[in-house]
This record gives sequence, C-alpha cells and structure tokens, in this order.
Amino acid sequence: MPSTSQSEPPRAHMTKPVEKRTVDMQVIGEWVEPQSRVLDLGCGRGELMAYLVQAKQVSATGVDLDFGRVSACVARGLSAYQGDMTAFMRAFPDQHFDRVICSRTVHELDDPAGVILEALRVASAVTVGFVNHGFWKNRLNVLFRGRKVRNVVYTTPWHESRPANPLTIADFEDFCREKAIRVARRAHLLGDWRTPCHLMPNLLAGYALYDLARA
Amino acid sequence: MGVIRASPPCVVAAAPVECPGIMTDDVQTTTAHHPRHLAGDDVGIVRARDFTHPGPFTFKSGQVIQGFTLRYETYGALNATRDNAVLVCHALSGDHHCAGWHSESDAKPGWWNNLIGPGKAVDTRRFFVVCANVLGGCQGSTGPSSIDPATGRAYGTHFPFVTVRDMVNAQKLLLDNLGVAELHAVLGGSMGGMTAMLFAIEYPQFTRRQIIMASTANESAQAIAFNEVGRQAIMQDPAWNDGDYPRDGGPRVGLAIARMMAHITYLSDAGMDRKFGRRKRESAGGESYTFDAQFEVESYLRHQGQSFINRFDANSYLYITRAIDQFDPARAYGSLEQAFAPIRAESLVVGFTSDWLFPPEQNRAIALALLRSGKRASYAELATDLGHDSFLLESAELYALIRGFLERPETHAVDFAI
Repeated sequence: MPSTSQSEPPRAHMTKPVEKRTVDMQVIGEWVEPQSRVLDLGCGRGELMAYLVQAKQVSATGVDLDFGRVSACVARGLSAYQGDMTAFMRAFPDQHFDRVICSRTVHELDDPAGVILEALRVASAVTVGFVNHGFWKNRLNVLFRGRKVRNVVYTTPWHESRPANPLTIADFEDFCREKAIRVARRAHLLGDWRTPCHLMPNLLAGYALYDLARA
Repeated sequence: MGVIRASPPCVVAAAPVECPGIMTDDVQTTTAHHPRHLAGDDVGIVRARDFTHPGPFTFKSGQVIQGFTLRYETYGALNATRDNAVLVCHALSGDHHCAGWHSESDAKPGWWNNLIGPGKAVDTRRFFVVCANVLGGCQGSTGPSSIDPATGRAYGTHFPFVTVRDMVNAQKLLLDNLGVAELHAVLGGSMGGMTAMLFAIEYPQFTRRQIIMASTANESAQAIAFNEVGRQAIMQDPAWNDGDYPRDGGPRVGLAIARMMAHITYLSDAGMDRKFGRRKRESAGGESYTFDAQFEVESYLRHQGQSFINRFDANSYLYITRAIDQFDPARAYGSLEQAFAPIRAESLVVGFTSDWLFPPEQNRAIALALLRSGKRASYAELATDLGHDSFLLESAELYALIRGFLERPETHAVDFAI
C-alpha cells in the first residue's frame, strides 16, 4: 500500500506497517557510526534509540514533547528530554553530537529549515527520513478521490488529523540546494520501503532517507 | 537508639500533607477510618532511630562540632551485596518520617507515603529506603536547638553555618554506618533535589542513580528574596533575641509569618483558586468589618503558621533557608558542567508546570547541563496546578516514571565524559 506520513506523532504507536518501520531503522543503523553520540529528534517511545544502542552501542539522547513517550524511554533505559527540539539544540555547543536523526518528524515541524540548520550546527551529520508525498499512489489518490490522502498509514480524515506539512523528494532536494547543504548519502525506497529506487524517485519512491552535512 | 520525642507527636510532614484544608485529598492515599497502617501497600508502623557520629565533624565553613546525631528511618531490607539502598532527601520543612505511621492513632502517615511502600513506585520489597533529618534540622538531628556540650545551652546562632554539602557529608556517614556499599538511588524534591544532586557530585562512585524533582541548581533572586523575608520575619521578632531563646519560646510570631508566606510560594494561583477561591468561612457571615479571618485561604494560612511553630525551630529555619540560598555548584566548581563532570549516576530530572518557585526552566537547566557534560540524563515535565509542592502529587504518571527509572536494568554505557 502507499506510504504517506502517519497521522499520529512519529513512532507514538506501532501502527500497521511494522516491517516498514524496521526497514527505516536498518537503513539509519547502517549510516550510524558505532559508539557515536546520537540525538533523536521526535524520539517517541525510543524504538529507534533502543535499536541503535543495541546494534551500534551508541550514546543516544532523545527529545519528545510528550510526557508518556519520554517516560517510556526512561523505563527502557534511555535518556530522553521532554521539550522543544530547537530550544534543546540551542543549549548545546557546536558539534556536540556526532549525528542528529530526524526520522518521520520533519513534516510536523513549525520551522523545518530552522531545525535542520540547527541540527547541522550541533552535529556533523544529520539524518532525515520522510515519506515522499510525490509517490505516484499518493498523486493518484488525490487525483481520483479528490480528497486528502487516506490509506493504510494515513487513516484519519482531515478533521481528525494533526497539522502536517507534507513534502516530496523534489522539495527536499530543492531545500538542500538552496541552503547549500551537502547530501552525503541518499536512500530512496519503493512503495514497499525496502527495494532501492534508482529511477525517478520523486514519482516512484515511497520513502526517502538523507544523510546531510554542512557544505 | 531511636526515641520518638514526646512533643509534638511526629505528624511532621512536608507542607501539603500537613493540613486537611488544601492538599490532603490530593496526597493521601487512604482516608477511611479503618487501620490505614495495615494497608497492604503500606510500610505500616515505623520507628525513628538515632545515629550518632562520635568524632569531630568539620563543616564546609571550617567550623567543627564534636559529633552529631541524625534521626532517621529505614524501610525494607539491605540486600547481601548492600547495594539496594535508596536515600530519600527531604525539603526545607520536611523530616526523616517519609513513609508509614508512628502509631495507630497517627492522623497522617509519613510525608511521601504515597510514593514509598511495598509495591509502590519506590518499592520497599526491593529497596532499602533510608531517610534522615538533615544536619541543622530540628526533628531529632543535631542543629541550632541542640545542646552545645561546651556550654550546656542550645547552640542557637553559635551553631556552625550549614551547607547542603554538610548535610550530604553527614548522611554519607550514616549510610556508611548502616553498611550501605552503594546507593541504588538518591531522590528528593526541592532542597531534597539539591541534596541528591550533591550526593551524585560528591560521591560519584557511591551513587548510581539520582532523581531531582522540582529543584534548581541555584535559586533565582526571587526565591532568595522570599527566604530573606521569612528570615527577617523571624529576626525582627523581639523574641528571637539574637537566636538565644528557650526551647518552648522564641519568635513564634515571626516563624508563623515566615511559614505563611513561604507556603504561598509552594502553591500556585490556579491551585489556590481551585481549593479556596473567594470562599468565606461559615462563621464570617456576610459583610464583616473586622480583621478576623474571613476567607478560607486566610484561616488556612493561619493554621499553617500555627501548626508550624509547634514543630519547627526558628533558628533551624534560618540555617536551612540560608543553606538553600547558598547552594550553587556552578559557582563552587567553576561551571555546572564542571560540577557534574565527576558524576557517574544516571539522572532523572522532573519539573512541574505550575512550580514558580523552582520553575521548569531551572529543572531543564540541570538536565541540559548533565547532558552537556556527557552524562546519561532525562527530563520529564508534568502538567499540574499544585505549584512547587507538585512533587508530592498523587499521580499514576509520576509513579510510573519514577518506578521505570528505579527499576530499569543497569546500563553499562561507554563513558562519554568530556
């Protein structure tokens, strides 16, 4: 099924595409250096951090707005901070972290450029993962239904959805070019979020991961 | 050995638990009239003990006393490896009686009874819980109201100046005496959070986890100002007499006013509005052209002041508020990051939205400095309207957070200290 952004906060609940979530974690895990210092923005209940601590022995810190999710991180042995992610990053010196991860969070931010640029200040690498709203099934969905995209991931009607600022791969590429952000690595995955997509990713990829560095 | 003093019976508790007027229904777990101390998740009847350190004790100020006593309570049992101890640190007006009941006729249990007990968030089936009245206090530990062996009279203002570090050092001697090899955790709210923080700094090899709640790494000018008004109320009372007053006398008016004012700072505008609003006492009738207490909030505060003077020593109030004002590890160690550098404990900091005495921002600052120092630290914030005293809140969310932190498996992470 098509992949679009979740209606719920990232990783707040394990919704249906469980194996897609795992694929996401595996790609990020491949990019993360062992024993590095990782900051996870919008860390939810800490699934990704727990995976990275276990698989890569990283030192992880998460930021989330919700008490229950931070409490869940604490209970599983993780460090988590309840509060605003930009304010959090402002409290740290340049390059304090090795990597900032912003996975399935970027579409819910008030100021996505501000967050990504601040992340590039506090870390040498920034990983951004997002669902591609330019994916062909999402385009057809809007074209033929004439309504806000709804599918297995995006289950709620507009009046029950959180504010979202959906983006496409082309949007993100434009953003990186405009802000002179270097794309160190990119991974575009087809609608199954598993198979690499090498052709026309803005149309054919359901999910995108970017590894950013300052130019 | 411990003796429970005759006057007054130890219904001593941190502020909100104390008065039936305002927060008791939020804080107490049981209200029925059957034997509450027999409740399954309650530590039951407990007894205070005294630990006496026989040798000289040097304060941070350089002043020395020849030995001291700490009154304390313990719940649960120390394990074979002697590393399951949880030290509970009390706030300004609190004491060692943090859980259970001293007698079947007690009106109230210990001040953190909702948190501590078999099966509770601080589980006494699992942990050996220790709580001591601080050095400089007046609930059985050595302080300004104790007798100076050199003169045979109360120390009064001749008692050495007490700092939070002195309180910590004295409690470390107690824990050594109890055979505690390592603290599983140290936790406390308000001044108790400062005590916990300093335990983790001063005894890094000894302290594995710390929970700091509704606290600060250094008081704001506003908080110091409130303490100063309290001290002035005491010191301007002629009965204070430069700190030299009989045990049953002293600046009772000044102390009561100090307490009334301080108590307002422990609550919040919204919380007081919810509890009292503009409600008037029944006896006040309609229009009343006197200065007798008319509003419920007035009689509540008067009651707070009156009950406080029966259990607290005015000089101890001066000493302990001074210790809180002076607390400033950033200044003592150069910066907060440097102060935290030796810490090996994992930390949990908890702030409360309506706390305007030690507001969320000051609690966040502690967590951020710990993280900047490369420590494992978390920050969580609860939305409440109970003000500074929110850390005593009866809240399933708060219990789950604390239990989750205390019971999570030990992590042996790489030390990223800078």
